[in-house]
Amino acid sequence: MLEPVLQLDGVARDFSDGRVVRRVLKETNLRIVPGELTALAGPSGSGKTTLLTIMGLVLRPSAGRITVSGRDVTALGEDELATLRMDKYGFVFQQAALVPALSALDNVLVAAAIQGGRVRAETRQQAVGLLDKLGMKEYANARPQQLSGGQQQRVGIARALIGDPVLLLCDEPTSALDVESSHLVLDTLKRLSRDPHRAVVLVTHDPRVFPYADRLIKMEDGTIVYDTRAASAGGN
Amino acid sequence: MRRYAAVRMLLHERSTTAGAILGVVAIVFLVGQQLAVLFGLFTLMSAVVDNSGADIWIASENVENTSSAGSLPIRYVDRLAGMADIEWAVPVVYAGAQLRLPNGTFQPVQVVGVTRPLLHGGPWRFAAGGNDVLLEYDGATVDKFDLEDLGSPEIGRIVEVNSRRIRVAGYTDGTRSFGAPLLFTNATKAREVTGLPADRCSNILVRLRPGASVRQAMADIAALLPKASALTSAELSRNTILYNLTSTGIGSSFGLSTLIGILVGVVIITLTMYTNVLNRQRDFAVLRALGARRKDIFFIIVYQALTIGFIGLLVGFFLLAGFLFGVKGSRLPANLPLWMPPAHALLTFILCLGGSALALRRALKIEPASAFR
Repeated sequence: MLEPVLQLDGVARDFSDGRVVRRVLKETNLRIVPGELTALAGPSGSGKTTLLTIMGLVLRPSAGRITVSGRDVTALGEDELATLRMDKYGFVFQQAALVPALSALDNVLVAAAIQGGRVRAETRQQAVGLLDKLGMKEYANARPQQLSGGQQQRVGIARALIGDPVLLLCDEPTSALDVESSHLVLDTLKRLSRDPHRAVVLVTHDPRVFPYADRLIKMEDGTIVYDTRAASAGGN
Repeated sequence: MRRYAAVRMLLHERSTTAGAILGVVAIVFLVGQQLAVLFGLFTLMSAVVDNSGADIWIASENVENTSSAGSLPIRYVDRLAGMADIEWAVPVVYAGAQLRLPNGTFQPVQVVGVTRPLLHGGPWRFAAGGNDVLLEYDGATVDKFDLEDLGSPEIGRIVEVNSRRIRVAGYTDGTRSFGAPLLFTNATKAREVTGLPADRCSNILVRLRPGASVRQAMADIAALLPKASALTSAELSRNTILYNLTSTGIGSSFGLSTLIGILVGVVIITLTMYTNVLNRQRDFAVLRALGARRKDIFFIIVYQALTIGFIGLLVGFFLLAGFLFGVKGSRLPANLPLWMPPAHALLTFILCLGGSALALRRALKIEPASAFR
């Protein structure tokens, strides 16, 4: 059995509007293993983004335990979590979310050096190499606003990969893309998930994504209602 | 990379960055200009004392500044002459008078009468003539910047001061005071003009021998002249400035305008930097998600504030230098002591950081999870 890169045990999340406390993510158990592309789907408000942000260590759960590469990180401080995100995680955001003040190359580098210090020559080389692999080398000095949505998203993927992450979390990466760009991005993510050290989790509304997924998880009302892994194992 | 990202963000938001720099320039120039004029006025207020060459000023009892009236018996000078530490002690006359203008109206003047032949306490810079004109019976000097107020008397012109004839024999150059124009003459003529009896003077100026203890000399003078008031030149200078500051309202006036300059600048910096952060909330959230700690965001905002402060300081100082150069040699007094630019720079950086506090507060509150919404 593969060692999971991420494991959630009884993770739940409550939100309060000051008067009423609402459980938006009910107790969830989940193991994300490397070498897989997992699609997390469900209607709006089903809790998939909450689950993604908890998996991404940017939102603390109200209950439960999070383990990353075998280490319990539930009680880590904010700075330690930030460093863990930088070292082990890659994020691909909706509409790429590149920093418009920085060039494509700088957007990639910023993910490696945001905690200060000089950018090392090998990091720069690695960033250029990533852009090259994603067909974006010639746009290295372009600003995000000079790039198409698909090109921005490829820069976003390069940014997510700069730290050689074990877990790539993608938040609706194809939502603002045309069909051709979507397939290009999904092909790339699929290829990346083939790395035996890396897992890719992708939140989506987009049914075009499902054929690319090795595993499909569906959520409703803060609960996982369907998981192909469980189904293939003979569960629900 | 944090520094680079901070600068790139500033360059990207050109209009808001320019607005913030404008705020700093407003602080540097407006505050600097106000303070330069205020310090220029301070120089005028204490000019007669500061340029007297005396270490100690003696006045009648309870007199604390040069604006206070009072007189001393001139025989005190003889008593002081017996003190071993004193190099010289001379009486001066210092009193207000009215100069009659060619159109028949009057202009108040401050008459300073110095004792011949040494003329200690006399004018310190001349535009025409020299100290020797005060050796003449009715010779007097007025300042070139006051000529217009005094009816533009040319050299040699006889003018009427307190109904007495006095001859303008020289022009001084910036030998001015805060109040009425200074008119220097010899002590004899000054007594005649002001009506001060021949056996009295307004002040006695004392110069100590090199190496003499001022404290000891002050104690000796206090024992020798118990009914007189002795102040060091520094004390009298300070007292005179303080008196003018509090009694004329000049302090509150300049204080208010300086405060307004600071407020305008801080408000501009605060609003522009806050707007900048509001516009870039998603960027900060994304950076936080990517691994930036709160202290990295803090670093970026503070670095931006200091960069804005530095650029604003350069531009502001350049404008200020232009102002000082422009008013040099004019009637408008402006003087920036050497300690002022670094102090002003420090104040500016503090205000920049203060102005960025709201933006910082906002930026530090941005949660990384908001990058996913």
